[in-house]
Amino acid sequence: MLERIAQQDRAAFRSLYHEAGPKLMGVLLRILGTRSEAEDALQEVFTRVWLRAGRFDPSRGVGMTWLVALTRNHAIDRLRARKPEQNDDDAAALIPDTAPRAETRLIAKGEARRVSDCFDTLEPARAAAVRGAYLDGLSYEALAVRHSIPLNTMRTWLRRSLLKLKECLEQ
Amino acid sequence: MTDTDLSPLEQDDLLAAEYVLGVLPLAERLAAEARMKTDAAFAERVSLWVAHFAPLNEAYASVPVPPDLLPRIESRLFPKAAALRRGWRLWLAGAITASVVAIGVFLLMPQSAPGSVIASLESEGATLVYEARHDGTSLSVTRLAGTAAPEGQTHELWVIAPGAAPVSLGLLGSDPLEVEYPRPPAGWVLAVSVEPAGGSPTGAPTGPVILTAEL
Repeated sequence: MLERIAQQDRAAFRSLYHEAGPKLMGVLLRILGTRSEAEDALQEVFTRVWLRAGRFDPSRGVGMTWLVALTRNHAIDRLRARKPEQNDDDAAALIPDTAPRAETRLIAKGEARRVSDCFDTLEPARAAAVRGAYLDGLSYEALAVRHSIPLNTMRTWLRRSLLKLKECLEQ
Repeated sequence: MTDTDLSPLEQDDLLAAEYVLGVLPLAERLAAEARMKTDAAFAERVSLWVAHFAPLNEAYASVPVPPDLLPRIESRLFPKAAALRRGWRLWLAGAITASVVAIGVFLLMPQSAPGSVIASLESEGATLVYEARHDGTSLSVTRLAGTAAPEGQTHELWVIAPGAAPVSLGLLGSDPLEVEYPRPPAGWVLAVSVEPAGGSPTGAPTGPVILTAEL
């Protein structure tokens, strides 16, 4: 469908909006926290989808992965571009409970199995930090606050977890 | 673990992972994005991490979208002719007031010719000239006259759909800019602004717009 959109097919664009819009709205709402900003961001995301569909390469992954990546990038750019004081408030407001959520169960299936298994090789707190960073778009600063450790320690911590994940994933 | 324990390849790989996770501060994030455009190996590492983390996307719930959003997006992308002109003129008027250096010159070439020139962005007196070509899949922009932005700054290329906000197509350094992009239809505008090294920190033009050309 993205290939058709790259050919300026407006009907394909509308279909994609109806199929993928709710999922992308879910991504934006989780990262940005408010419905009004998520709706604003969704307009920008679909504008970019129309403009950039030609960059999607089906040989390198499925369309939904590309769409979610584009959406997360836009949401995170918005978060990082916020004024610092606003950022702090929102980071605090966005901090979710640290108990494992539905995603822990949901990812334990199909080809996601390996990723889930690799997360299990990390200490639970570190796996939660990586997951929180990804799903909620938390910055190193927000993660450090959430886990009550200094910023540099947080970065070392997370980088070490990423190396371990990589080792497991690329075995 | 200290960073010095890692090979340059491992450092790159971690940076790609941090970029995909989204934990980097804005400046480092933008630097990583700029690098993806010129460093294919690094872009490949980013793609790999996108694929690695993709299963986590399952955890994002689907949320109903308000029904009036699609019409708003469509009117932004496909405006009627009148609204269309007003939109970009308004934006350009604001941007150019800051510092008028030049007015672009527009050249129309046959639609079918591959690699044809679609626009020439020229300053007054042609002291700075960028030429935009499109070959059916990619846009390439080459500097034909003048010099790159001074140290600490860069030229950034923008495309503006009628009535929409400018979207960055990349940075114009000493090499031609190549970007996979559909051929922009008539009525769209290409513009060049001066930005801090690494590109606009906000995702929108922040410096003076020095060249423009309507397609």
